[in-house]
Amino acid sequence: MFFGKRMNDHAITSTMKSLATNVEAIIRVSIRIGCCGIVCVLLSTGCQVSAEPPTDELPASGESGAGEMRRGQKIYTDQCLSCHGEGGRGGTEGYADPLLGDATVSDLASLIADTMPEEDPEQCVGDDAKAVARFIHETFYSEAAQRRNRPAQRDLSRLTGTQIQQSLADLYQHFFGPSYRVKERGLSASYFDSGRWDKEKLKVERVDPVLDFDFGRESPVEGVTPDEFYIHWSGSLRVEHTGRYEIVVESTCSMKLRFGHHDYVLIDNHVQSEGKTEFRRTLNLIGGRQYAIQIDFTQRKRKTELPPAKFALRWVPPGGAETVIPTEYLIPSTQPSGFALQTKLPPDDRSYGYDRGTRVDRQWDDAVTAAALEFGSIAGSELWPQYRRKHRRDSDENRSRLRGFLSELATIAFRAPLDEASQKLYVDDQLAEAEDDLLAIARSCLLIIKSPRFLYPTLDHDAAPSNRVATRLALTMFDSLPTDEWLLDQVSKNHFAPDHKDAEERIRQAALRMSDDQRLHGKMMEMFFDWLDIDPAAEVAKDENKYAGFDKVMILDLRRSLERTIGDVFWSDSSDYRQLFSSDFNWTNSRLGDFFGEGWIPGVEGRVEGRVDGVSNELVQSKPAGGRSFGVLTHPLVMSHLSYFDTTSPIHRGVFLFRRVLGRTLRPPNEAFTPLNPDLHPDLTTRQRVELQTGESKCQVCHQKINTLGFALENFDAVGRFREQENGKPIDATGGYLSRDGQQVSFATPADLANFMANNDDAHRAFVERVFEHFAKQPLAAYGEDVAEDLVKRFRDSGYHMRRLIVEVAVVVATHQLDQEYNNEST
Amino acid sequence: MNRRDFLAQMGISTAAASLLMGLPSLCMGSAATNRRRRLVFVFSPNGVIPNHFWPDEAGKDFDLKRILQPLADFKDQMLTMKGICNRIQGDGDGHMRGIGCLLTGIELFPGDIQGGSDTPAGWSMGISVDQHVKNQLQADPATATRFGSLEFGVMVPDRADTWTRMSYAGANQPVAPISDPYQMFDKLYGQAKNREMLASVLDDLAGDFKRVSKVLSSEDRQILDLHLDLVRNVEKELKTELAAATKNDSGTVHAVPKLPPNIEEQNDNMPQITQMQIELMINSFLADFARVASLQITNSVGQPRMTWLDIKEGHHGLSHEPDSNEEAYEKLIRINTWYAEQVAHMARRMKETPDPSGHGSLLDNTTIIWTNELGKGNSHTRDNIPFVMVGGGLDFRLGEAYDFGKVPHNRLLLSILEGFGMPEKTFGNPEFCGDGPLTGLIT
Repeated sequence: MFFGKRMNDHAITSTMKSLATNVEAIIRVSIRIGCCGIVCVLLSTGCQVSAEPPTDELPASGESGAGEMRRGQKIYTDQCLSCHGEGGRGGTEGYADPLLGDATVSDLASLIADTMPEEDPEQCVGDDAKAVARFIHETFYSEAAQRRNRPAQRDLSRLTGTQIQQSLADLYQHFFGPSYRVKERGLSASYFDSGRWDKEKLKVERVDPVLDFDFGRESPVEGVTPDEFYIHWSGSLRVEHTGRYEIVVESTCSMKLRFGHHDYVLIDNHVQSEGKTEFRRTLNLIGGRQYAIQIDFTQRKRKTELPPAKFALRWVPPGGAETVIPTEYLIPSTQPSGFALQTKLPPDDRSYGYDRGTRVDRQWDDAVTAAALEFGSIAGSELWPQYRRKHRRDSDENRSRLRGFLSELATIAFRAPLDEASQKLYVDDQLAEAEDDLLAIARSCLLIIKSPRFLYPTLDHDAAPSNRVATRLALTMFDSLPTDEWLLDQVSKNHFAPDHKDAEERIRQAALRMSDDQRLHGKMMEMFFDWLDIDPAAEVAKDENKYAGFDKVMILDLRRSLERTIGDVFWSDSSDYRQLFSSDFNWTNSRLGDFFGEGWIPGVEGRVEGRVDGVSNELVQSKPAGGRSFGVLTHPLVMSHLSYFDTTSPIHRGVFLFRRVLGRTLRPPNEAFTPLNPDLHPDLTTRQRVELQTGESKCQVCHQKINTLGFALENFDAVGRFREQENGKPIDATGGYLSRDGQQVSFATPADLANFMANNDDAHRAFVERVFEHFAKQPLAAYGEDVAEDLVKRFRDSGYHMRRLIVEVAVVVATHQLDQEYNNEST
Repeated sequence: MNRRDFLAQMGISTAAASLLMGLPSLCMGSAATNRRRRLVFVFSPNGVIPNHFWPDEAGKDFDLKRILQPLADFKDQMLTMKGICNRIQGDGDGHMRGIGCLLTGIELFPGDIQGGSDTPAGWSMGISVDQHVKNQLQADPATATRFGSLEFGVMVPDRADTWTRMSYAGANQPVAPISDPYQMFDKLYGQAKNREMLASVLDDLAGDFKRVSKVLSSEDRQILDLHLDLVRNVEKELKTELAAATKNDSGTVHAVPKLPPNIEEQNDNMPQITQMQIELMINSFLADFARVASLQITNSVGQPRMTWLDIKEGHHGLSHEPDSNEEAYEKLIRINTWYAEQVAHMARRMKETPDPSGHGSLLDNTTIIWTNELGKGNSHTRDNIPFVMVGGGLDFRLGEAYDFGKVPHNRLLLSILEGFGMPEKTFGNPEFCGDGPLTGLIT
């Protein structure tokens, strides 16, 4: 499903700097001109914007900035307001459009001097024109001013990159049926005493936790002769994070590996040929998805000497090292065929702290074209034959089968039934244009996927209310489209019509049903890694002498461990946020146990999986270690990210807790500082060095809030290993926190800190906001203070149930706009 | 429209016409343009009927037997080469070694593919001569092309095994031929075609942008307007680009051929598929996409059923019949004659197509080498392997029937390299290269 025809020659690679960079640039410029107050708010919360235009501290040019602004304001009021309206919003008889654009102040000044006011252009020239130009520019005209002035609101957004990948995956999946979540791990195996599938000769059926076998010239299982056998492994590969994965197979015998689509052979080693034993394929795979995998492994009988039989299924996940694919990524059920977009999409704007599809540019447009072509080719080779099989009894007069296929595809992609004009444009015209079926499909898909009807999901004012609800539910829960039969069925019955008294409850029930889905797992995991500021593909480099053994493989183990910790809490019945800070054990294996010691010693023996040093690679629960382990908070992957190459960084840890966990705001430091070199202060602990460096009162304004939070984690070194001493001195892990309302809290141990974070109101509110913005991709503030309060209350009342919180977020998003419109209509 | 008619009218004729119009300027430039040598291997399976294949007499005054009759028009531009024997031993049955060692001249690895006899085998231990020539051409900027080589197939089963692979990029690296003309078309023109398709839908798309943005607030409309501008810009760019491409004044641009629609890869469509592949090959030479190509008709032990000749049995099955089975014998002659017709068709298309380099026709600069994995089907002999060459890509003396007696085919592989101006001391297994290239071939 991924290669050959699929790969477009001109797959666009992303080279564009993130749009966020542009925003940063704006901010940097603002800093230079001194709008510091605004800057700090923008940087720290990402989404709150000051509604007040800056009235002072503007750059002086000739006269004082403030003076010029006041004069400009007066001129505007006297000479411009009557036509251009308050805040340049226009809407008057004289001038309808708002004044906004990207001309510079001097451009504006000369334009005004030449042309304004219309009735007498001589009236406003020279310094007057400059002053009013500056006032207009700074107050509402420029992009920065618009951004400042805009109340938090829901923007019309296009699909983000992730949403395009997920939507196309589900558009494909619609024709094969949905994927489902299963608890079992490993791959199903059937061992035959025969060179092929033969029910009579099936000797052993079992689940193999990982595939890493060296049968040599022995029989692989009892009852099977070593000189001729066949093993069929089937199941699916779970993917936690979107990215490039290299699938690696080592096989000394004939072997075929099917992947994604049930008939798509990713690796074909039908012929065993001496010396050809390693096979590698790189694919882009999508977080939260499960890809069917089927392997045929055959030792063929022959006259000549048999090679020893070996087989291993390995991978290199993004940023990771090559390992045997661990058992938690394998499931024994073969999921329906699936699709992963191989075209790279440019990164989205993250200036608000979450991906937003609010910018369109050429590079993005080109990438969407490439994606549409890629999908069109797959639709022709994989979806169309599937549809034809299902509808083989239908009449095919006048290409009605193909028409049916394309209409269904467009209906799903547009999340609503096609109106007459759309049916003509997206389906009928393309059929008429291309005699060749595959070409007609390619044309139609190109149009459908480039259509605003697909790319702007909330552009659906004409759609039925139930369609709009389903669109928002799927977008919120999965970043995708409504494709599941049950949901489409409820939509077709207008189940979510807002005039029904139980409408909200029905929507909640639908969201609840959707919350038990693998796709939610993907979006959830993305949120947590984002929250913890861990890029799954990033490398973590540490001092090799001090932390020997903390290598790529170990980091991969830690990533698995963290995923498991988060996943277990999230999917447990209580799904309790507080457990993220309280669990006293870790998911570990013996390798991690040897390195991290207490808190990481496996509680039970793991199965010995893989030939990696003959040690067990399987993650198991450690023996509990009270006082040393506090779930996600003290997880080594988190702690090592919040550290330097060879020392901890209490400042990074403090800032992380202050901003990300407690949701507080901080302005950036006055200037960039390099941390004091530990070698120059060999007698000091890290804590003492930080205190020394940030001791000045101008630093203390912020650092008194930051440092004392970070210090409470000093028991965890730069790789997150528990320590009681540093440089021969005992660790001082006392700390404290000054709350929003000025209350001082102190922590004697990391336990106090963890307990505080788990139960603090600010932290709960911050978490609710983060969840909302990650799932809704819109600012929570845009939905009103009441909505925020209500969500926090529901979160608290549910016992901090994270899955329920996401359901409630989805309900808010799905009902909000409709409520408003419905109320407007009824009043 | 009948598909054959369609083919007769399609693609190349327009391209050739436009090239002809551009010819004066081409000729003027040709002093500086080197001639482009090309090499094409055509494979057909299961041996031939020698009595109706090989000319009775060697030399210039040779007769064309029934099977080779379709090539009569090219008698001056062709040669037949008897006495070439595939001596490679080792693992694999006759058919496997027949195809797997044909262009590689070296043994197969031990493996697990078991034929009807002999030992099982895997892939070839070395590179094939077509890929070797391609690598040499690609290494020199003056002769490098977009693809270097193109491997066409006709009804090659969708199964990677020793019987289905003739070309090797190296030891254990079989090259899969592309049997689906649409897939080959995508490879050659997908990008251009996609851009053409994009250009043709953007205007309609822009119309729908307007339709959906009617109901929007001015603020929400901003992003859509911006988006629409992008759509319009791309449309404008593509129009300019396509206009430039169809102007065809440089001589390097040629029309994209049109394929008849919806031809499935099925036995009965073999004649159409063969012609489509040949057209794509001719076009890719015109565009200078590649200078080496192969056309593999089915595979070693291939079972095409030539229903269009009223032959219901599969070719391989028939090829095992003893010579005394007169009916089978006659059918095998007709099957092989059909293969010869395909070679003749390819040669004819090349002959009527001027070479874009300005040196004569495509055929003047291209040698088609038609070969087979066996000498004769029912004996599985790899002695007297059919080698028939048409065209002037190699510096061989044409218009002659050769008989080399009984020489290892490695020496012919060396001659091919020599004829292409890339002489080597050995190719494949050096044991069979002792006497060097064949003598008396080069003009």
